[in-house]
Amino acid sequence: MSVAPSWPHPLLHPVAHVRAQFQRWWQARLPLTDSFTLTQRNVYILPTRPGLMLGVTLLVLLVASINYQLNLGYLLTFLLAGCSLVAMHVCHATLRGLTMHLIAPDPVFTGATAIIGINLENRRQSTRFGIGLALLGSSHWSWTDVPAQANATVHVAFKPERRGLHRVPALTAETHFPLGTFRVWTVWRPAAQVLVYPAPEPHAPALPLGEPRAGDAAAAPGPGSGDYDGIRAYRRGDPLKLVVWKKAARANELVSRDTQQVQRHELWLEPQKTGLPQPEQQLSRLCAWVLQAEQQGLDYGLRLGGLEIKPAHGEAQKRRCLQALALC
Amino acid sequence: MLNPLHHLRLLPRDSRDTLFMLGVIAWVVLPQVSHLPLWCSLLSGAVMLWRGWLAVTLRPLPARWWLWLLLVLTVGATLFTHKTLLGRDAGLTLIVVLLALKTLELRARRDAFVVFFLSFFMMLSNFFFSQSLLTAGAMLIALLGLLTALVNAHMPVGKPPLLQAARIAGSMTLLGAPIMVLLFLLFPRLAPLWGVPSDAMSGRSGLSATMQVGNIASLALDDSIAMRIRFEGAPPRQSDLYFRGPVLSIFDGRNWQPLRSGLPAQLRPLPNLRVQGAPVNYQVTLEPNQRPWLLLLDATPNAPLLTGFEARMTPELQWLVERPITDLLRYTARSYPDFSHGPLRPVAGLQDYLELPFGFNPRTLQLAAEMRRDPRYAADDGTQLVAAVLQRLRSGGYVYTLEPGVYGRDSADEFWFDRKEGFCEHIASSFVILLRALKLPARVVTGYQGGEQNPVDGFWTVRQSDAHAWAEVWLSGRGWVRVDPTAAVAPGRVGSLQRLQAPRGVITEALLGNVSPALALNLRAVWDAVNNRWNQSVLNYTQRTQLNLLKNLGFESPSWEDLIYLLIGIVVLASLGGAAWTLRDRLRQDPWLRLLAQAAKRLQKAGVPLAPNSPPRRMAEQMHARFGPEHPAAQRIGDWLLRLEALRYAPPAAQHSRLPALQREFKRLRWPT
Repeated sequence: MSVAPSWPHPLLHPVAHVRAQFQRWWQARLPLTDSFTLTQRNVYILPTRPGLMLGVTLLVLLVASINYQLNLGYLLTFLLAGCSLVAMHVCHATLRGLTMHLIAPDPVFTGATAIIGINLENRRQSTRFGIGLALLGSSHWSWTDVPAQANATVHVAFKPERRGLHRVPALTAETHFPLGTFRVWTVWRPAAQVLVYPAPEPHAPALPLGEPRAGDAAAAPGPGSGDYDGIRAYRRGDPLKLVVWKKAARANELVSRDTQQVQRHELWLEPQKTGLPQPEQQLSRLCAWVLQAEQQGLDYGLRLGGLEIKPAHGEAQKRRCLQALALC
Repeated sequence: MLNPLHHLRLLPRDSRDTLFMLGVIAWVVLPQVSHLPLWCSLLSGAVMLWRGWLAVTLRPLPARWWLWLLLVLTVGATLFTHKTLLGRDAGLTLIVVLLALKTLELRARRDAFVVFFLSFFMMLSNFFFSQSLLTAGAMLIALLGLLTALVNAHMPVGKPPLLQAARIAGSMTLLGAPIMVLLFLLFPRLAPLWGVPSDAMSGRSGLSATMQVGNIASLALDDSIAMRIRFEGAPPRQSDLYFRGPVLSIFDGRNWQPLRSGLPAQLRPLPNLRVQGAPVNYQVTLEPNQRPWLLLLDATPNAPLLTGFEARMTPELQWLVERPITDLLRYTARSYPDFSHGPLRPVAGLQDYLELPFGFNPRTLQLAAEMRRDPRYAADDGTQLVAAVLQRLRSGGYVYTLEPGVYGRDSADEFWFDRKEGFCEHIASSFVILLRALKLPARVVTGYQGGEQNPVDGFWTVRQSDAHAWAEVWLSGRGWVRVDPTAAVAPGRVGSLQRLQAPRGVITEALLGNVSPALALNLRAVWDAVNNRWNQSVLNYTQRTQLNLLKNLGFESPSWEDLIYLLIGIVVLASLGGAAWTLRDRLRQDPWLRLLAQAAKRLQKAGVPLAPNSPPRRMAEQMHARFGPEHPAAQRIGDWLLRLEALRYAPPAAQHSRLPALQREFKRLRWPT
């Protein structure tokens, strides 16, 4: 399930291990929700390194003011301290009161990048500046401003490593506005899940041969016989593979194979037909075949363990098959 | 053709931000330029101009070895100039150059931080030299500029206008100001934690412990205020306003220094001060002079009333305290303009006041010998000789000037015979040398002479330009007698309201040439009065004022622990205030959205399934689906929801006026359950 599966070894890195354990426990406590309103309870604040430097600067300024008895130095020090204090509140208020909505992500193939859209809703009458979103633990920030009483959408990308139904990884929103002296952040575990199909095998071999249609077994032609004999005029949308180039060259117009004629056989995609030993490799090739068959406009069915999807074609069929491949 | 302003507007954000940052840095550094070595100002200026040019022409930053080269050069030059890398002056030089060099590697926005912190040290160091209202104003602008740059650096999206960042910085400063006031009033004022490094003393102008030719010339050009005085009753005559500073008795041919007598304290001549006539009572607000000197009118027999210091009088009538005055100091004193002092008969200690360095001023010695041989003065006790020397000053073609030029080795010779011009310092020094050559004990007294009354608040102002040097000669039977040889040369310099104006520069002439003198004087009076208020209330805010404040707040016997308690109490109150602010922030939500959220809550309670952020129309549909269109309460609510939606698209003024009616109606509606 998790995107960051490698935990530090308890003996080699005891501190890192405990920290990772703590973070896992702590994240598990967070509610799963697709709409997350930030309040005092889930917004955290800590000074940044420049913030600590500012603290040291203030101390030095104060000591200098005391030592040289500079009343104007006191004024400067205290005004700066006041501004930093106000900045702390402003920084916290930048996130507090913000509502984040997850835009459900589309399914992706393993190895491709999934884009998560997040809609930030600002009900306040002032702009919230410099809010960054990222996956928890990554450093690829997407920054945005959220205008007063308006919404802004940011996109965060992540790369699922395995097929299946994954929960959207935990997200974090952060801001350093206005002075960068404090880091205000929150951690959000969205409830939405993203469906990850197997990675289609690159350069997969051609589709397997069709099976004779049930009840039409006698007419099954042997392998290698010319099974695509019907042709018709080219229609817009015909895949290029169906074009009979030889005839087209002679007739000076495009001619396609008539798939109605072709479909005397049923194309069944099965793990056994891939000829591969590893189940994941089989799924990968099946995935490539599904895409290939869909592209060629063929009807295709899928048999996977006890599951059987009847031959058909179209977007719904593709989804059905890919989902079955993702989840088996 | 693009005009330059348009070109600036088209610059990419990074270039614009860099130029703004450079401007702020220049503003912070500029007031310091006169205190920096010339090479430092030139180098920093050149580096910043270079950086600005790179930003405008969008060229890449120089390689890192450039920086290292410049840094090494700088450290070397600092060592060469200051002979050290530590201490205030060397540190200041280094910070300025580091600040300039840092701009050459302003790559990431986080580099702004380094510039930010260095700039704060620069701002504070400005206060070493001046804590005037003007400086405070300039530094406030600098602070706003720095905050703006920082806020801008933390707006990562697009190219936000600088004005927007400036507004945010301004409001933050405004909100921070009450915190500043509180801390300023209540933060306990502590004594310096350790000894102030000695180079902190050299920066500010004031009287000096020694006198060298040309030293007081720079003071005469300095119009800053040395002290303010309020006289009780009528002020004394202007010509009696001699404020006594260090008395200089040892001359080595170049420098005048105070006497360090080898005699034990008991044997040293006593001040033997005798006063008569009506006293003058007055209150002095002394600007910090970084010296242990109290400046008081001649002569003050009793210690002035002041807190925090122990005053004592030297045998030479100067009043001292035990440590340097680093803060505005106020004291009350009583002086007698009519006085005499010193031994009446010759005593051993007077020998010190006759010594002259060997081999200096041969012509002056010769002149003295000639005068001594003159039969007219054979039986003289000194009075006539002094009168003769003064007569020589008056009628010998001697001129008072602020620009006498550089004097050579035999300064008295040059004054008496060659140049015949100088200011009080040259005149007093040459005068005393001649008297000593005449075997009359004499010494130089430095201090301030004169002052002017501010018509706005009635305070008398004594400026650094009133610094003066005069002479005292010992006459048998009369003791030490004040003689002001400058008065003989330039009667206008002493005892009249007319101040000798320092020669104006070309620019000042162009700027002020057309302003009528009366208006200028008036403006200056108002400005001085404002400055005085600033001094009295801000710069003179000490532990005593602080404890007085507590007393006024009702503390019986305030101590600085009480200050801490008060501070903690206020912090607690402020936290509560912060909580209230948060609440207000929540309430500040758009009233329309709040009303909609209330309605959504009621409907959800009634079991209507609502998607988040449903518009009112959708809510009404959901409600009708739940209760059916015939439900009477639902019908009314649906009608209300539709009107609420219509209001959202009304012009803002209408929204404002019609919303209350809908809010009232919301309360009257009967909600289904």
